[in-house]
Order: sequence, then C-alpha cells, then structure tokens
Amino acid sequence: MRTFQAWAAPLALLATGWAAGSEPLPPEQFGMEPLPARTPHRIYVVDSAIMNEIDSRVRVFDADAHRFLGQIDAGFFPGVTVSPDGNTIAVGTTYFARGGHGERTDVVEFTDAATLAVTGEIVLPTKRLQATPTYLNLGYSSDSHFLYAAYVTPAASFGVLDPAGKRVLGEIDTAGCVMVIPWGPDHVSSICDNGRLLTVTLDAKGNEVARALSDKFFDVDTDPLFVQGIPTDRGYTFLTFLGQVHEVDLSGPMPMIHPSWPLVNAGEAGHWRPGGEQMGAIQRRLGRLYVAMHRGEEGSHKEGGTEIWVFDLNTHRRLARWPVAALKLAPVEALQVSQDEAPLLFLGSDDGAVATLDALTGRLRRVDRSLGPNPSQILNP
Amino acid sequence: MQRLDRMFESSTRSLAQRTSRRSFIGVLGRILTGSLLVPLLPIDRIDRAEAAAGPEGSPEKGSAGARGQSVGKPHTEDQQNCEYWKYCAIDGFLCSCCGGSSHTCPPGTQMSVVSWIGTCHNPVDGRDYIVSYNDCCGKASCGNCYCFRNERERPLYRLSRNNDVNWCMANTGGDYHCTVSVILGSSGS
Repeated sequence: MRTFQAWAAPLALLATGWAAGSEPLPPEQFGMEPLPARTPHRIYVVDSAIMNEIDSRVRVFDADAHRFLGQIDAGFFPGVTVSPDGNTIAVGTTYFARGGHGERTDVVEFTDAATLAVTGEIVLPTKRLQATPTYLNLGYSSDSHFLYAAYVTPAASFGVLDPAGKRVLGEIDTAGCVMVIPWGPDHVSSICDNGRLLTVTLDAKGNEVARALSDKFFDVDTDPLFVQGIPTDRGYTFLTFLGQVHEVDLSGPMPMIHPSWPLVNAGEAGHWRPGGEQMGAIQRRLGRLYVAMHRGEEGSHKEGGTEIWVFDLNTHRRLARWPVAALKLAPVEALQVSQDEAPLLFLGSDDGAVATLDALTGRLRRVDRSLGPNPSQILNP
Repeated sequence: MQRLDRMFESSTRSLAQRTSRRSFIGVLGRILTGSLLVPLLPIDRIDRAEAAAGPEGSPEKGSAGARGQSVGKPHTEDQQNCEYWKYCAIDGFLCSCCGGSSHTCPPGTQMSVVSWIGTCHNPVDGRDYIVSYNDCCGKASCGNCYCFRNERERPLYRLSRNNDVNWCMANTGGDYHCTVSVILGSSGS
C-alpha cells in the first residue's frame, strides 16, 4: 500500500498536467435525434415482455445501418399494425391504472412513423382481444377508412373504429368466430371453430349489411389452422399444425380458398412441423414462402423453428432448408421478409436475438440483441 | 375425442357465441360444478396415442425449451416443476412458485372467472384427468417457473382449449400473475 501511494502522487500530477495542455470539450446542445427516413429494411419488432407483460414494446430497427432507432410503448398483450400508407403505427393495448392492477383501459394508440411521437388515441370498450400478437388482432381497411379491433370477452366480436375521427363507430358480433381479417374497403373475415371463414360486409358508416360463411376448409380436430395469417398480394395464407398451406384469395366478392398443399413429404409428415409465434412470411415479388420448422409432436406447435424452409409458391417446391443452429441461433419464434429487390430475412429467436439474413441465399449478415427479450412478431410494412 | 368432452367444448363455444359475459360466467360455473359429479369423464386419447407411438425425430422426453420447460412426458411429483403431469397445457408462470400452490392462487390475487381446459395423463395412477387452468389476476407477472407446454392446446377459435389469451380478461381490472391447474374429474373416478 505504501509503495502504491508513493507512485500515485506523481502519476496524478502528470495526468493533470497533460489534461491542462489539451483543449476542453465544447459545450453540447441538448436536443432530440431525428428519425432517419424510412427504408425497405426498417422493421418493427414486437417484444411481448413475457416476464412483465404490462410492459411490451415495439422496437424500431434499421437493418441496413444495424441501428436501434427508437421505441413505441405497447402495454399489455398488444396488437400492432401499420397503416396501408406506412405512415402510422397503430397499437391496440391495455393499461391498468395502478400498474399491475386498477381500472382497465383498452385503447388504440397511433404513432407517427416519421417521428415516433404518439399522435392520438381511441379508447375502446374493455373487450379487446388480449392475446399473442398477430397480423389479425388489429387491422386497417384497404382505404384506411376503418380500423378493426378483435374483441374477446370471451364472447367474440370486433370493433369498427374511425381512425381519422378517432372514435368507435360500432361493434359487430361474430358468433364465436375470432380475429379480424380486413380486405377491401368494407369486408372483414373471422376464423371459426367449424373450419370456415365468417365474412361481414359493412356500409360506409361501419354498420353490418351482410354476412356469409365460406365452405369448410380445415378441421381443428385433425389439423388445426394457425391464426397467424401471412399477408399476400391477394389475401392471406394460413399454415396448419401439420404443415398444410391454405391460400385464401380475397380479391373477389367473397373469399376463394385454393386447394391446400403440403410443406412436408410423406416421410416428414407428422415429424417436421411449423411452429412458433410468427411462423411464416412471404416475399411477394419472388413468390417465396419462408417457414420456421421443427421436429415435433402433439403440443409442439409453439416450439421455435430449428430450420427455415423456403418454398416456391408457384410450384410448391421446397427450394432450401437453412438450419439455424449453423448460424449459432436459438430456435426461431418469429420471422419476416422484406419486400424490396434485395430482400432481407429477419429471424427472432427464443433467446431474444434478431438475426438479419440475405433472403436469397440464407447468408447471415448480422445478429442483434438489443431488441428486447421476446421478439414475438416482426413487421416490415 | 369422446362425446362428453366434445359436449363440454360445444357448450362453452355456444355460450361464448350467444350470451353476455355475466350469463356466460354463471352458466360456465354451473357446467364446471356439474362436471365434478360426472362419474366417468371423457378424455381425449387420440393425440396421446399419437404421441405415445413416438414419431421419428420427436424431441427427447422431458426436454426443456429455451423459453421454459417444454414439451415432454411429465413424470415428477414436484409441483414446482413444469413436468408435473397436471401442467400439460400451461403456457405461463406456475402459481406454486409464486406463493400459491398447483391449484390455489397466491395471496392477494383473484382467480380468473373464466378458464381453459386440458386433458392430462397422470402416470402415477394411470388415469386421465380433465384439468381447468385458471389464471390468477390483479398483480404484475410473477416471473417465476415459466412453464411452456401445450399438449392438446388449440388456437383461439377453439377458445376453451386456448392458452394464448389472457384468461383474466373477464375479471375487474388486473394483470395476469400466474396459472393454477385444478382437477375437475378423472376417467376412472
């Protein structure tokens, strides 16, 4: 100790003298970082904060610059959607007045995608579906005139909202069918336990004018349909627990459901399965379907993918299998692909990593661990 | 799935479709109470038979997933262990690790007034049981013993079998805290 003290004094004097000989740092201007312009590779990562579910967030990330851009608060069991023009992020969520308890407020909050500032809200009846985030918890009509919020109390219905006027227009009972699949300016479909879609048609004020049931196209007892629909150019594509692909065309007057096709061959059937929270994504320009697959059994449908399988949507051929362990990634719970000409594939793993890959080759570009512990859904409008 | 089991699901679905929340809860309560009196309860054996056949490449029994203890065949008497047989369809925190027990909520919370249903096999007595999974509500997430098993769990449109939704939804103001599993009856009782 004495030896250290003997050396410390002259060293401190030396350091002080060196600092005195250099220029001081200039005063800084306190301010706010502007949000960079939107690029095709900006993603919104929904962190469902499993360990403290009242504190979900949406992390905004630039996959080109590998930069965390900012955050949108998302409360409790949020449903997140982006307006058709990409300018607004709508978050349907719940807050309790005293943190974990107290009066419940259900609300849709609107955030400006250019500034990440909250610009308005619509307070909902306390009926909002509080469930795993999917594309179908909350959604805009194609002309942005309506916003629809799924309700489960457990009675099922949906709210019709006016996003411009920031008000609730009404509520449509869905007879036990759940989720909101918006299509066109005035149609909403929901998924029913009997294997059909219920489609409600609205008038200009958001009132129901017609409803119709589709033919049965899946059987929940033999091969349940995941509710995580994947947007396509003409509607939505749905996967089943055992790996069937159901393409729903919503470009006509009523839903048209194409014959299903399998992700798995006879040897793989029942063993390899899709799974996770957001298990599929489609690159619409290339016509490619990306699916998180795992070896599993009954009850494994939420297990993350140990491989990403890539399919040609025209030929239904499997183009590639990309094991995620080779990328040193944990199983994949959420995946998304960008829609530009140099598409990126985004993988959210169940240990909280978000990986960015070249969607054409599967080559890993980067792994980021700053986007929250539970990346359950990734949006790339 | 056998007849009474299907009837139970049909009843809950029908109620969800046709009734208000309050009457739904009242009728559901009567159904659950009544179910305790049924001498031979129906159990879904189809999926278990499939699992028992051991498909090629199925995960190692009792394996643990990164999100928590996961798919596998339960064989433990430790009620703070996710592999305890009664937890076969839980995706949440075990109340037995949060101040409660496998079937009682922690002090100061409220039991959810609606619940989902699982059918689990007890390897000790060889019986199959219908289990009601109730959430305990009114406090922030417990955060202990996250248990991630989804045997015979089904998507939201089959609500009575779904664990992805917040089952505190019908309680008055309060977060999800943890989950209990309550035996309603067995195949051999």
